[in-house]
Amino acid sequence: MPIKILAFAGSPRRHGNSETLLDWVLAAMSEDQDTRIEKVALTDADINPCRGCNACETLNRCVQRDGMDIYHDKIIEADCIVLSSPIFCMGLAAQVKALVDRAQVFRSRKYVLRLPVVPPERKGKRLGIFLSTAGQKWDNVFDAAIPSVKCFYHVIDIRDADISYLMINGVDEKGAIEHHPTAMTDATNLGRNIIKELKKRLDV
Amino acid sequence: MGIKVLGISGSPHRHGNTETLLDRFLEGSHESGADVEKVVLKTLQYSPCRGCNVCHKSGECIVKDDAVILYEKILASDCLAVASPIYTMGITAELKGFIDRQQYLWARKFILKTLYFPDDHIRRHKGIFVSTAGLGWEHVFDGAFPVITALFNTTGFEYYDNIIANDMDRFGGINNHPTALREAYEKGQKVVRVLEKLHAQVPEASVKN
Repeated sequence: MPIKILAFAGSPRRHGNSETLLDWVLAAMSEDQDTRIEKVALTDADINPCRGCNACETLNRCVQRDGMDIYHDKIIEADCIVLSSPIFCMGLAAQVKALVDRAQVFRSRKYVLRLPVVPPERKGKRLGIFLSTAGQKWDNVFDAAIPSVKCFYHVIDIRDADISYLMINGVDEKGAIEHHPTAMTDATNLGRNIIKELKKRLDV
Repeated sequence: MGIKVLGISGSPHRHGNTETLLDRFLEGSHESGADVEKVVLKTLQYSPCRGCNVCHKSGECIVKDDAVILYEKILASDCLAVASPIYTMGITAELKGFIDRQQYLWARKFILKTLYFPDDHIRRHKGIFVSTAGLGWEHVFDGAFPVITALFNTTGFEYYDNIIANDMDRFGGINNHPTALREAYEKGQKVVRVLEKLHAQVPEASVKN
């Protein structure tokens, strides 16, 4: 069985800093032949915001028909879900917030309908990675994004302790991350370590 | 000229808890004599920021849609009440999509230096965040505050107050909340009085230093 990695590139700017950081992590992961990686650019993924209709609390599915029809299943199937977002106005990019809010269907399944999100044998085996970049140098620039990220992983059955974070501040212009002293090394190590941990958990 | 109060509802859910709370605030302002307008983001056509950074050079957004028109309206208001329910520990994607579009104003302020709000201007422009959350957690609004702060900072408003109510799931909606609706109405009245007083003073900005 291959190890399935689902990666969301959240920035509307293609191949900018947060996507480059993601690409480094994925490149390190792809060194292992057992991995199967799918990368999705959210700006092209056709994911609408949540309408707040709460229909998923009874229907167990979303009433909207869009890109989320595909990613709903892929989110369940993946062994590792990587989310990358630039920080815009102190928070996740709106495109990322839309994806995160659409995870409401998983919350309803888990807490309202009391149904499993992943099969019991896969619970506690999935890992999450949050990658982020910010133009500002402030230490607190990622603080407002993290609670939303934790909620997202929580409702898709990835525990707090199983989320890894790599967040780089002070990179603004396109390509700035290439000059960061540690970002590439940290991303590479993170990618390799996650695969090592997944192989242990999945007994591959 | 009356005090202009602009309410922006960022909820996709029409006439739900958050919009109802905003409505009470606006009713209070109207009762105090303000010119009140409410804009519901869900009824506008706008796309999220593309992150193209063209505005860093031009100071203009290349996407011509309702977001730019609404920013012009914000800049012409004395009080901005921005409302969003808490979804996944933050503001809604609709409101985040709109706020991200302020990048062209940020560029004018910090890159091109063509936009500057003197302290006195900021003091005379009050920003209020209106929000509700289903969960009862004390920290449920914490992810929203910094984003709202960014909006008010960039558009020249003092972050004046919050009108927030958590634990909606337990109360069974805003109408069952013991104090929130009254608080919203009273704050709506009060901010207009405060702004009228400020507007009656000689602006400090007219004294060049």
